[in-house]
Amino acid sequence: MDEPPGVAEADMSGGTPLGGSDDGSPSFPSDPGLSEVETDRRIRVGPAAIRVARDPVVTILLLAGIFDGLSGNPVHAVLLIGVAVALAADAVVRFGGDGAEASLGGPFVKAGKLRTAVLLAIAAIYAVLIGRLPRYSWPMTVAVIVPGTVVLALAWLGRIGRRPETTKLDPGGVLAWLAVFVGLALWELTNLLLQPSFTTDSYAHPTLSVLSDPFLASPVGRAIGLFLWLALGWLLVDR
Amino acid sequence: MSSHALTLVVYLMFGLAGLTLEIRARSPRSRIPSLGTAVGRVMRTRSGRVGVIAGWVWLGLHFFAR
Repeated sequence: MDEPPGVAEADMSGGTPLGGSDDGSPSFPSDPGLSEVETDRRIRVGPAAIRVARDPVVTILLLAGIFDGLSGNPVHAVLLIGVAVALAADAVVRFGGDGAEASLGGPFVKAGKLRTAVLLAIAAIYAVLIGRLPRYSWPMTVAVIVPGTVVLALAWLGRIGRRPETTKLDPGGVLAWLAVFVGLALWELTNLLLQPSFTTDSYAHPTLSVLSDPFLASPVGRAIGLFLWLALGWLLVDR
Repeated sequence: MSSHALTLVVYLMFGLAGLTLEIRARSPRSRIPSLGTAVGRVMRTRSGRVGVIAGWVWLGLHFFAR
Protein backbone atom coordinates (compact mmCIF):
# COMPACT_ATOMS: atom_id res chain seq x y z
CA MET A 1 0.00 0.00 0.00
CA ASP A 2 1.31 3.41 -0.92
CA GLU A 3 2.15 5.77 1.86
CA PRO A 4 0.31 9.12 2.09
CA PRO A 5 2.47 11.98 0.81
CA GLY A 6 2.55 13.71 4.17
CA VAL A 7 4.29 10.70 5.67
CA ALA A 8 6.80 10.53 2.88
CA GLU A 9 7.63 14.19 3.24
CA ALA A 10 8.14 13.84 6.95
CA ASP A 11 10.30 10.79 6.59
CA MET A 12 12.48 12.45 3.97
CA SER A 13 12.93 15.55 6.05
CA GLY A 14 16.10 14.47 7.69
CA GLY A 15 17.85 11.78 9.62
CA THR A 16 15.39 12.00 12.48
CA PRO A 17 11.62 11.99 12.28
CA LEU A 18 11.47 15.48 13.74
CA GLY A 19 13.67 17.31 11.28
CA GLY A 20 12.69 20.23 9.03
CA SER A 21 11.60 19.79 5.43
CA ASP A 22 13.12 21.03 2.22
CA ASP A 23 9.97 22.84 1.10
CA GLY A 24 10.05 25.28 3.97
CA SER A 25 7.53 23.43 6.09
CA PRO A 26 7.94 24.14 9.77
CA SER A 27 9.74 21.54 11.83
CA PHE A 28 8.46 20.40 15.18
CA PRO A 29 10.70 20.19 18.20
CA SER A 30 11.13 16.85 19.83
CA ASP A 31 8.87 16.44 22.85
CA PRO A 32 9.58 13.43 25.00
CA GLY A 33 6.08 13.79 26.52
CA LEU A 34 4.38 12.93 23.22
CA SER A 35 3.63 9.40 22.18
CA GLU A 36 4.99 8.15 18.87
CA VAL A 37 1.55 8.41 17.27
CA GLU A 38 1.04 11.98 18.46
CA THR A 39 4.48 12.99 17.27
CA ASP A 40 3.86 11.39 13.89
CA ARG A 41 0.53 13.21 13.61
CA ARG A 42 2.15 16.56 14.39
CA ILE A 43 4.76 15.94 11.74
CA ARG A 44 2.16 15.17 9.09
CA VAL A 45 -0.46 17.84 9.93
CA GLY A 46 1.99 20.72 9.57
CA PRO A 47 2.94 20.09 5.91
CA ALA A 48 -0.66 19.20 5.12
CA ALA A 49 -1.92 22.52 6.49
CA ILE A 50 0.65 24.38 4.40
CA ARG A 51 -0.41 22.38 1.36
CA VAL A 52 -4.00 23.54 1.93
CA ALA A 53 -2.92 27.16 2.22
CA ARG A 54 -1.03 26.81 -1.07
CA ASP A 55 -3.89 25.08 -2.88
CA PRO A 56 -5.48 27.65 -5.19
CA VAL A 57 -8.60 25.51 -5.60
CA VAL A 58 -9.54 25.86 -1.93
CA THR A 59 -8.91 29.61 -2.01
CA ILE A 60 -10.89 30.14 -5.22
CA LEU A 61 -13.84 28.10 -3.98
CA LEU A 62 -13.87 29.94 -0.65
CA LEU A 63 -13.77 33.39 -2.26
CA ALA A 64 -16.41 32.46 -4.83
CA GLY A 65 -18.61 31.04 -2.07
CA ILE A 66 -18.29 34.19 0.04
CA PHE A 67 -19.19 36.47 -2.90
CA ASP A 68 -22.09 34.22 -3.91
CA GLY A 69 -23.36 34.25 -0.35
CA LEU A 70 -23.17 38.06 -0.30
CA SER A 71 -25.12 38.08 -3.57
CA GLY A 72 -28.02 36.34 -1.86
CA ASN A 73 -27.37 32.83 -3.14
CA PRO A 74 -27.08 30.67 -0.02
CA VAL A 75 -27.37 27.37 -1.90
CA HIS A 76 -24.43 28.29 -4.15
CA ALA A 77 -22.41 29.48 -1.18
CA VAL A 78 -23.05 26.26 0.73
CA LEU A 79 -21.87 24.22 -2.28
CA LEU A 80 -18.68 26.19 -2.88
CA ILE A 81 -17.67 26.69 0.73
CA GLY A 82 -18.66 23.12 1.60
CA VAL A 83 -16.43 21.69 -1.13
CA ALA A 84 -13.56 23.99 -0.12
CA VAL A 85 -13.83 22.92 3.52
CA ALA A 86 -14.06 19.25 2.52
CA LEU A 87 -10.91 19.53 0.39
CA ALA A 88 -9.06 21.31 3.17
CA ALA A 89 -10.18 18.76 5.75
CA ASP A 90 -9.21 15.93 3.43
CA ALA A 91 -5.70 17.29 3.06
CA VAL A 92 -5.21 18.00 6.76
CA VAL A 93 -7.06 15.19 8.50
CA ARG A 94 -6.64 12.35 6.06
CA PHE A 95 -3.32 13.63 4.74
CA GLY A 96 -5.13 13.07 1.44
CA GLY A 97 -4.08 14.52 -1.88
CA ASP A 98 -3.07 12.21 -4.64
CA GLY A 99 -1.70 9.55 -2.40
CA ALA A 100 -5.13 8.93 -0.89
CA GLU A 101 -6.36 7.88 -4.32
CA ALA A 102 -3.79 5.18 -4.84
CA SER A 103 -6.08 2.51 -3.48
CA LEU A 104 -9.14 3.63 -5.44
CA GLY A 105 -10.43 1.80 -8.48
CA GLY A 106 -10.23 2.94 -12.05
CA PRO A 107 -12.59 5.39 -13.70
CA PHE A 108 -16.22 4.45 -13.19
CA VAL A 109 -17.39 6.37 -16.22
CA LYS A 110 -15.82 5.27 -19.49
CA ALA A 111 -16.63 6.79 -22.83
CA GLY A 112 -17.81 4.66 -25.70
CA LYS A 113 -19.82 5.52 -28.79
CA LEU A 114 -22.91 3.62 -27.68
CA ARG A 115 -22.70 4.80 -24.08
CA THR A 116 -22.15 8.38 -25.21
CA ALA A 117 -25.17 8.20 -27.53
CA VAL A 118 -27.38 6.78 -24.76
CA LEU A 119 -26.22 9.40 -22.27
CA LEU A 120 -26.81 12.20 -24.79
CA ALA A 121 -30.35 10.91 -25.39
CA ILE A 122 -31.00 10.79 -21.63
CA ALA A 123 -29.56 14.29 -21.29
CA ALA A 124 -31.84 15.57 -24.06
CA ILE A 125 -34.94 14.06 -22.43
CA TYR A 126 -33.86 15.40 -19.05
CA ALA A 127 -33.30 18.86 -20.52
CA VAL A 128 -36.69 18.98 -22.23
CA LEU A 129 -38.54 17.79 -19.12
CA ILE A 130 -36.66 19.92 -16.59
CA GLY A 131 -36.63 22.90 -18.93
CA ARG A 132 -40.37 23.18 -18.41
CA LEU A 133 -39.81 23.95 -14.73
CA PRO A 134 -39.64 27.61 -13.72
CA ARG A 135 -36.16 29.05 -13.44
CA TYR A 136 -34.89 29.65 -9.89
CA SER A 137 -37.63 27.40 -8.46
CA TRP A 138 -36.95 24.71 -5.85
CA PRO A 139 -37.87 21.83 -8.22
CA MET A 140 -35.37 23.21 -10.75
CA THR A 141 -32.80 23.57 -7.97
CA VAL A 142 -33.24 19.94 -6.95
CA ALA A 143 -33.04 18.84 -10.59
CA VAL A 144 -29.66 20.54 -10.92
CA ILE A 145 -28.29 19.55 -7.52
CA VAL A 146 -29.01 15.82 -7.89
CA PRO A 147 -26.90 15.11 -11.01
CA GLY A 148 -24.33 17.65 -9.84
CA THR A 149 -23.91 15.93 -6.50
CA VAL A 150 -23.60 12.50 -8.12
CA VAL A 151 -20.82 13.68 -10.45
CA LEU A 152 -19.15 15.56 -7.59
CA ALA A 153 -19.14 12.37 -5.50
CA LEU A 154 -17.67 10.38 -8.40
CA ALA A 155 -15.01 13.06 -8.82
CA TRP A 156 -14.16 12.91 -5.13
CA LEU A 157 -13.79 9.14 -5.30
CA GLY A 158 -11.62 9.38 -8.39
CA ARG A 159 -14.10 7.44 -10.49
CA ILE A 160 -14.15 9.84 -13.43
CA GLY A 161 -11.57 10.91 -15.96
CA ARG A 162 -9.15 9.12 -18.25
CA ARG A 163 -6.09 9.90 -16.14
CA PRO A 164 -3.76 10.54 -19.05
CA GLU A 165 -0.03 10.11 -18.69
CA THR A 166 1.75 13.03 -17.15
CA THR A 167 2.95 15.39 -19.84
CA LYS A 168 4.78 18.61 -19.30
CA LEU A 169 2.60 21.50 -20.40
CA ASP A 170 4.18 24.62 -21.84
CA PRO A 171 4.08 27.27 -19.07
CA GLY A 172 3.41 30.01 -21.60
CA GLY A 173 0.41 28.18 -22.99
CA VAL A 174 -0.97 27.50 -19.54
CA LEU A 175 -0.45 31.14 -18.64
CA ALA A 176 -2.36 32.20 -21.76
CA TRP A 177 -5.36 30.08 -20.76
CA LEU A 178 -5.16 31.34 -17.19
CA ALA A 179 -5.12 34.92 -18.46
CA VAL A 180 -8.32 34.36 -20.44
CA PHE A 181 -10.24 32.74 -17.59
CA VAL A 182 -8.95 34.98 -14.82
CA GLY A 183 -9.59 38.03 -17.01
CA LEU A 184 -13.11 36.87 -17.74
CA ALA A 185 -13.76 36.22 -14.05
CA LEU A 186 -12.44 39.67 -13.12
CA TRP A 187 -14.57 41.33 -15.78
CA GLU A 188 -17.63 39.45 -14.50
CA LEU A 189 -16.74 40.52 -10.95
CA THR A 190 -16.28 44.13 -12.11
CA ASN A 191 -19.76 44.16 -13.61
CA LEU A 192 -21.19 42.54 -10.50
CA LEU A 193 -19.63 45.28 -8.35
CA LEU A 194 -20.90 48.00 -10.73
CA GLN A 195 -24.49 46.87 -10.24
CA PRO A 196 -26.63 49.06 -7.93
CA SER A 197 -26.40 46.18 -5.47
CA PHE A 198 -25.37 42.52 -5.51
CA THR A 199 -29.02 41.53 -5.92
CA THR A 200 -30.08 44.22 -8.43
CA ASP A 201 -29.30 43.70 -12.12
CA SER A 202 -27.80 46.44 -14.25
CA TYR A 203 -28.46 47.04 -17.95
CA ALA A 204 -25.34 49.19 -18.25
CA HIS A 205 -23.08 46.62 -16.59
CA PRO A 206 -24.64 43.22 -17.21
CA THR A 207 -23.12 40.03 -15.84
CA LEU A 208 -23.21 36.88 -17.98
CA SER A 209 -26.23 35.59 -16.10
CA VAL A 210 -28.10 38.85 -16.75
CA LEU A 211 -27.22 38.58 -20.44
CA SER A 212 -28.56 35.03 -20.49
CA ASP A 213 -31.91 35.98 -18.94
CA PRO A 214 -33.81 36.59 -22.21
CA PHE A 215 -32.58 33.29 -23.68
CA LEU A 216 -33.33 31.23 -20.57
CA ALA A 217 -36.74 32.82 -20.02
CA SER A 218 -38.47 30.30 -22.30
CA PRO A 219 -38.74 26.53 -21.77
CA VAL A 220 -36.98 25.95 -25.10
CA GLY A 221 -34.10 28.20 -24.07
CA ARG A 222 -33.84 26.48 -20.70
CA ALA A 223 -33.90 23.04 -22.36
CA ILE A 224 -31.04 24.05 -24.67
CA GLY A 225 -29.14 25.59 -21.77
CA LEU A 226 -29.59 22.52 -19.59
CA PHE A 227 -28.49 20.22 -22.41
CA LEU A 228 -25.36 22.32 -22.97
CA TRP A 229 -24.65 22.24 -19.22
CA LEU A 230 -24.97 18.45 -19.13
CA ALA A 231 -22.83 18.12 -22.27
CA LEU A 232 -20.13 20.23 -20.64
CA GLY A 233 -20.34 17.96 -17.62
CA TRP A 234 -19.86 14.91 -19.81
CA LEU A 235 -16.83 16.51 -21.50
CA LEU A 236 -15.31 17.14 -18.07
CA VAL A 237 -16.09 13.63 -16.84
CA ASP A 238 -14.39 12.25 -19.94
CA ARG A 239 -11.17 14.25 -19.37
CA MET B 1 -20.00 53.63 -27.08
CA SER B 2 -22.42 52.93 -24.23
CA SER B 3 -21.42 51.06 -21.08
CA HIS B 4 -23.68 48.20 -22.13
CA ALA B 5 -22.00 47.89 -25.53
CA LEU B 6 -18.52 48.17 -24.00
CA THR B 7 -19.36 45.39 -21.55
CA LEU B 8 -20.50 43.14 -24.39
CA VAL B 9 -17.42 43.91 -26.48
CA VAL B 10 -15.10 42.92 -23.63
CA TYR B 11 -17.01 39.67 -23.09
CA LEU B 12 -16.71 38.97 -26.82
CA MET B 13 -12.98 39.70 -26.75
CA PHE B 14 -12.47 37.11 -24.02
CA GLY B 15 -14.53 34.63 -26.04
CA LEU B 16 -12.47 35.32 -29.16
CA ALA B 17 -9.23 35.03 -27.20
CA GLY B 18 -10.27 31.61 -25.96
CA LEU B 19 -11.32 30.53 -29.43
CA THR B 20 -8.02 31.73 -30.90
CA LEU B 21 -6.02 29.85 -28.28
CA GLU B 22 -7.97 26.65 -28.94
CA ILE B 23 -7.47 26.94 -32.71
CA ARG B 24 -3.75 27.62 -32.28
CA ALA B 25 -3.48 24.71 -29.83
CA ARG B 26 -4.74 22.33 -32.52
CA SER B 27 -1.87 23.22 -34.80
CA PRO B 28 0.61 20.28 -34.79
CA ARG B 29 3.64 22.40 -33.89
CA SER B 30 1.88 24.52 -31.28
CA ARG B 31 3.23 24.54 -27.72
CA ILE B 32 -0.10 25.82 -26.42
CA PRO B 33 -2.12 23.02 -24.82
CA SER B 34 -5.73 22.65 -25.86
CA LEU B 35 -8.29 23.54 -23.23
CA GLY B 36 -9.15 19.86 -22.92
CA THR B 37 -5.52 18.92 -22.30
CA ALA B 38 -5.10 21.66 -19.71
CA VAL B 39 -8.31 20.71 -17.92
CA GLY B 40 -7.33 17.03 -18.06
CA ARG B 41 -4.04 17.87 -16.40
CA VAL B 42 -5.76 19.89 -13.69
CA MET B 43 -8.11 16.98 -13.05
CA ARG B 44 -5.31 14.55 -12.28
CA THR B 45 -5.42 15.58 -8.63
CA ARG B 46 -8.41 15.21 -6.31
CA SER B 47 -8.32 18.90 -5.50
CA GLY B 48 -8.29 19.90 -9.18
CA ARG B 49 -10.89 17.34 -10.21
CA VAL B 50 -13.32 18.23 -7.43
CA GLY B 51 -12.70 21.94 -8.00
CA VAL B 52 -13.47 21.72 -11.72
CA ILE B 53 -16.60 19.64 -11.16
CA ALA B 54 -17.74 22.00 -8.37
CA GLY B 55 -17.37 24.82 -10.89
CA TRP B 56 -19.56 22.91 -13.33
CA VAL B 57 -22.24 22.30 -10.66
CA TRP B 58 -22.07 25.97 -9.73
CA LEU B 59 -22.68 26.92 -13.38
CA GLY B 60 -25.88 24.90 -13.36
CA LEU B 61 -26.99 26.45 -10.09
CA HIS B 62 -26.04 29.95 -11.21
CA PHE B 63 -28.01 29.90 -14.44
CA PHE B 64 -31.00 27.77 -13.45
CA ALA B 65 -31.41 27.20 -9.72
CA ARG B 66 -32.04 29.27 -6.62
